[in-house]
Amino acid sequence: MKDFDSLKNIWQEPNPAEQTPTVISIGKTSKTVKMKLQKQQLGGAIVLVLTALLIAALAIFGGFNFTHWYTYGGMVLICIVCLAQAGLMYSLYKKISTINETSAPAAHLKQWEAYYDLRKKQNKWNMPLYYILLNIAMGIYLIEVLTGRPVLNVSIFIAVYVGWMLFTYFYLGKRNIKKEDERLNRIVGELKLIESQLKNPA
Amino acid sequence: MAQIVLKKMTQQDQFTSLYKSYSNGIKKLCLGYTGDAALAQDLLQETFIAVWNNMQGFRGEAKWSTWIYRVAVNTCLTQLRKKKETMVDIENSHFIMLPDDVNTREQEVQLLYKCISQLPETDRLVITMVLEETPYEEIASITGITENNLRVKIYRIKKQLTQIYNGYERL
Repeated sequence: MKDFDSLKNIWQEPNPAEQTPTVISIGKTSKTVKMKLQKQQLGGAIVLVLTALLIAALAIFGGFNFTHWYTYGGMVLICIVCLAQAGLMYSLYKKISTINETSAPAAHLKQWEAYYDLRKKQNKWNMPLYYILLNIAMGIYLIEVLTGRPVLNVSIFIAVYVGWMLFTYFYLGKRNIKKEDERLNRIVGELKLIESQLKNPA
Repeated sequence: MAQIVLKKMTQQDQFTSLYKSYSNGIKKLCLGYTGDAALAQDLLQETFIAVWNNMQGFRGEAKWSTWIYRVAVNTCLTQLRKKKETMVDIENSHFIMLPDDVNTREQEVQLLYKCISQLPETDRLVITMVLEETPYEEIASITGITENNLRVKIYRIKKQLTQIYNGYERL
């Protein structure tokens, strides 16, 4: 039978196998979880802004000469959807930036909880809304593009396009939302558990 | 005095000095938390990356040790998500010796790490600091737990850890 002081002696016994860690070099590849999440959001936002710029450039300089205004309207709507999504991702990036690793653990956990709570809320409406708006925009754009084409070709194109969209929305999309929701719930649950451990003395 | 000297150093020198002073203690804290050498090394790195990123904001309101240990505690506690996904099965880890093999000092240390890793997350961090003989006042400051609560907590964790350890030794 060992008492706590014996355990302390074991702990403090110098271990010959232990080496002093060498000083780490802080380089471009060194990242914390926070930095990785920030990079993910900022990277996504930049890609979406570039996509919007590319579509805008195509609409202005592409020489498509569309006859209907609503075809350009479709392109503008795609740009707006991309920019709105980029804005949302940038706001998440800013939210992560405000998390302070040097604050007291309870406050630090609360900051992460707030971030994941926001992600949970967004997860419910963001993807469906983004998907629906993007497809409305694509639909408007395709009206003129497909007008005058052979009926068979148009039918095949619409069948493949709609089929793929329904599959990605109702199968892949719903499955991803469910998976992400479960992951976020688990993380928030773990954070709450640790918070309660900090609060309760027993 | 030491803090005045540190302020005169460049950030790199200051960082190196802090790393040399605290990396061993932080490594043990992370090892006690995860019970796994590779994960502890990752957490040590993450802690010091966060220290590097935030050290210019250090205002000297707390001691460097308190500040760095707080960053380490935060890193450990929020690493839970990553850890759960990648954590090795402690029961079967090669890092941990089986209780039957406990006959050397080093194996006793490994068994102690195993026992600590069975405690709740915050308890692991608290008891590691107690084992390192960090003053209660500083542990309270690092964890943000009131000193009264901390004393009750430490009393309970000590008892629990001793029971777990002796339970293995009896096997």
